[in-house]
Amino acid sequence: MVLTVAMLCVLTSVALTLYRALRGPSWGDRIAAIDFLNTNAAVLIVLVALKTGRPALLDAALVVAILGFLGTVALARYLLGGRVME
Amino acid sequence: MKPLLALLVCAVPTALAASPEALETPALGNLWADLLILVGCVFLLTAAIGMARFPDFYTRLHASSKLVTLGGVGFFGGAAIAFAPLGITQRILLIAAFFLLTAPLSGYMIARAGYLRGLPFYREADTVDEWGAHGAAVPKSEVPDAEKEALS
Repeated sequence: MVLTVAMLCVLTSVALTLYRALRGPSWGDRIAAIDFLNTNAAVLIVLVALKTGRPALLDAALVVAILGFLGTVALARYLLGGRVME
Repeated sequence: MKPLLALLVCAVPTALAASPEALETPALGNLWADLLILVGCVFLLTAAIGMARFPDFYTRLHASSKLVTLGGVGFFGGAAIAFAPLGITQRILLIAAFFLLTAPLSGYMIARAGYLRGLPFYREADTVDEWGAHGAAVPKSEVPDAEKEALS
């Protein structure tokens, strides 16, 4: 029951953030919205792991969190210096 | 009529209890896990509403990065408590610690890139830009007109 309510909350959040990512007046809004969508994906994977009782899905949540963070940092570095890697 | 109602009243909980979802989630039902997940839901929904309704890029980033840090830790803490009988609490706490470290960092990097590239911000009468480096990192090759078109 709580998990269903939580999933509905996360889906509402995904819908609002998708609206911002699609409409966002500047590129910064889109980057922030996509970073937030990555967070939503990780949280949703954790909720699915709880719902189905499969703890192996938590590794997928960790991988999604790491990749979202790396992507955001790479985008910010590219926008500032033009070089992603040193 | 009455036996039918009694049959329904007896059959519905039995069917619910026999559904595979109820069998596969022995870890749930913990009150503290439910409370933490609900707190995470409140933070996440607040962040999403702020993301959709705040006036400029920096306020939206403020809503998403700060609130999501707490909300994600609520979700992961709830999962850690709910999965405690399986003995994988450390792994979930590792994810929570990683999340607590990286969510503000990514928000900071996006905000810095946006500020140095000169994204416009919402101004009031007493707004002060103390750093004064707004738009300092815009490359010379970019024509301002193209930047304006991309922003609008």
